[in-house]
Amino acid sequence: MPILHRPFLVATALLYLLITLLIGVWALRRTRTPRDFWVAGRGMGVLMAGIVTMAAAFSGFVFLGGPGLTYRIGVASLFINLPIGFTSALLGWAVAKRLRLLAEVREVYTIPDALLCRFGSRTTSGTAAAAILVGTVSYLGTQLLALGRLLESVLGLRETAGPYSLAVGVAIGLAVLLFYSVGGGMVAGVYTDLFQGTLMMVSACAVFWYALKAGGGLSGIASSIAGSPRFGRQLLEPFGRAPVLTALGFYFVFGVGVLGQPHMLHKFLMLKDPRRLRWLPLTLGLAQILCLLIWLGVGLVVPALVAQGRLPALAQPDDAAPLFLLHFVPEIVTGLAVAGILSAIMSTADGFMNIGSAALVRDLPKAWGRRVRRELLWGRLATVGVALLAACLAFLYNDLIALLGTFAFGTFAAALAPALAVGLNWKRVTATAATASIATGTLLNTGLEFLAKQTFFPSLPKPPLPPGALPAAVSLAASFTVLLAVTAWQGRRGEAPLESDIAAVMEV
Amino acid sequence: MADRTALLLLSLCAPAALIAFCVDAPVLRWVAALAVTTFPVALIALGAARGGRLQGLRGPLLILWIVLAGSFLALLALPHGGPDVLGIPLALALMLFVLVPVPFVLVCWAYAARFEMRDEDLERLRRLGRLRDGKD
Repeated sequence: MPILHRPFLVATALLYLLITLLIGVWALRRTRTPRDFWVAGRGMGVLMAGIVTMAAAFSGFVFLGGPGLTYRIGVASLFINLPIGFTSALLGWAVAKRLRLLAEVREVYTIPDALLCRFGSRTTSGTAAAAILVGTVSYLGTQLLALGRLLESVLGLRETAGPYSLAVGVAIGLAVLLFYSVGGGMVAGVYTDLFQGTLMMVSACAVFWYALKAGGGLSGIASSIAGSPRFGRQLLEPFGRAPVLTALGFYFVFGVGVLGQPHMLHKFLMLKDPRRLRWLPLTLGLAQILCLLIWLGVGLVVPALVAQGRLPALAQPDDAAPLFLLHFVPEIVTGLAVAGILSAIMSTADGFMNIGSAALVRDLPKAWGRRVRRELLWGRLATVGVALLAACLAFLYNDLIALLGTFAFGTFAAALAPALAVGLNWKRVTATAATASIATGTLLNTGLEFLAKQTFFPSLPKPPLPPGALPAAVSLAASFTVLLAVTAWQGRRGEAPLESDIAAVMEV
Repeated sequence: MADRTALLLLSLCAPAALIAFCVDAPVLRWVAALAVTTFPVALIALGAARGGRLQGLRGPLLILWIVLAGSFLALLALPHGGPDVLGIPLALALMLFVLVPVPFVLVCWAYAARFEMRDEDLERLRRLGRLRDGKD
C-alpha cells in the first residue's frame, strides 16, 4: 500500500481511534448482564439496525479490495454488488423476522441458539458453532492484518518501528478493539458500528463525487477506458475479463449466501421492537448502496485515469483506492476516507470478536449439554482469547490466514444459509437435514477453496471444477441440495413435532 | 400453495445450479443464470408465504423475477456488452440502472406495504414463551 503518512491523516486516524475508545468507556458502564454483552440489551432501533448491519457486513474489502478487483477484472466484479437490490428484503422475509421472533419467545443471543431452538438438536447447533468459530478466527485474522497494514501506512510506523512496524500496527488496532469490545461487549459494538457505519457512508459518497469529477462523469470514464489499448472496452463488458461462471457465482454467493452471515444476522436479534422490521430492508439497503458507491466510483475511475495518463499503471490492483485518495481528493476527504476504511475494518472485526467468544462460551458448551457460569466474565475473557488467537495465527500463518479469510464469507454462506433460510420457514426440515447441510457446506467449501488456492503442497490436485467456477457457489448449491434431499428422503417419519412457541413463530 | 411452489422451485434450482457450476458446457450458463435469479425469488416467496398464500406479493415477486431473469438473459445474449447507451455499453447500463435500483425500490416497497405483525400475534407469542418458561 502507498504510504499515507501525512500530518492531517495521522491526526484523523488518532482522532478516530480516540472517539471509538470514548464510546467504549461510555458503553462499559452500560454493560451489566450477558444480555447486554451478547445482544446490546436488545435495544436497537431500525435505523440504527440498518447502519450497524451494513457496517458489520462491509469490511475493508469494499474500500480497498473492491476497487482493486474492478481494476483487475473490470465490471464483472460488480456482480458481487448487484444483489444489494434485493438482499435486504430477502434477509427481512427469509430470516430476520423469524430470528427476531425466536428471540421474543426464547433466550436467543446467537445464531446457534436460534438453530438449537428451531431443531432441538445440540448436534445441529454445535456443528454450526464449530463452523462459525473456524470462519470467525480466519475472518478476524484477515481484518487484523488489514488493520495493522493500514495503521502502519498512515502512522508511518515503518520509520519508527522498523521491522516490527506491522506488529505495532496490529497491536495498536487490537488494543483499541479489545478495549471497547471486552469492556462494552455488543453495547460498545453497536454504538461504535453506528459511528463507523456513518463515517463509511459519508466518506463513500464524498469519494464517489470526487471520482466522477476526476474522471469527467460516467461517460467520460467509459470513453477513456474503452479507448485505451491497456484496458479497452472489454473492461466495461460484464463478462469481458472474467468467465461467465465467475460472475454468476459472485451473484449467487453474495445474493443468497448473505442469509448465512452470522455477523449480520446477529444484529437482527438486537432489535428492540420486532414490528419495526417493516423498515429494515429500506434502511439496510440504502446504507449498503451508499457505501458501495466508493467501489463503483474508484473502481472505474482509476483505470480511466491510468488510460488518460494521469496515474501510472498500478503495480498492485489493491493500490487503486489509496493512490486515488492521495492524488485526486482534498486532504480533508482523504482523512475522512481513511477513517472510513478503519471503520469498515474495525466494525467487522468487533462483530466477529463477539460471535467468536459467544461460540466458545455459550454455543459449544451448550452443544455438550453444559452451561458456563458467570457468562459475562467468561465472555469478556473469551473475546480477548479469540482476538489474540486470530492475531497470533495471522502472524504465524500469514498466508494461510489470508487464504482462509478470503473464503470465510463462502463458508458461512454454504454452512448456514440453507439451514436458516429454509429451516426457519419450512417445518418439515429435520435436524438431520440441517446438520448434514451445515457439515456439507463447511467441509466442501473449505476443501475446495483450499485445493483451489493453496500453494503449500504442490502434489495436491486442483479441484475438479470448470474454469472460473467458484468453490463457494458450488458448495452453497450443494448445501441447499443436501438439505432438500435429506428432508425429502426422511419424509414425514423424520419430522419431530415442534414445540408450540416455535411452531407459532414459524406461522406468524 | 405458494410455499409449495417456492419449495419446488428451490428443489429444481439447487441441483440445477450445482450441475451448472460443476460442468463446463456453454448451454449450462443459461441454466445457471436462470437458477441464480430464481433462487432469491423462491426464498422470498417461501419466507413471505403465510398459510400457503403470498398475501398480495404474487405480482411484485413475478415482476422481480422478470427483471432479474430477463436482465441476466439479456446480459448473456448481448455480444460484447451491446451498443452504447448514455455513453456506456448497454449491458453495463442494465447492471447499473436496472439490476440494482429497480429490485430495490420494488422489494422495499413490497416488504413495507405487506409487512404484517399484529399486536395480538406478538402477545400470543410472548404468552407462549412465558408459558414455556413457567414449565421449565
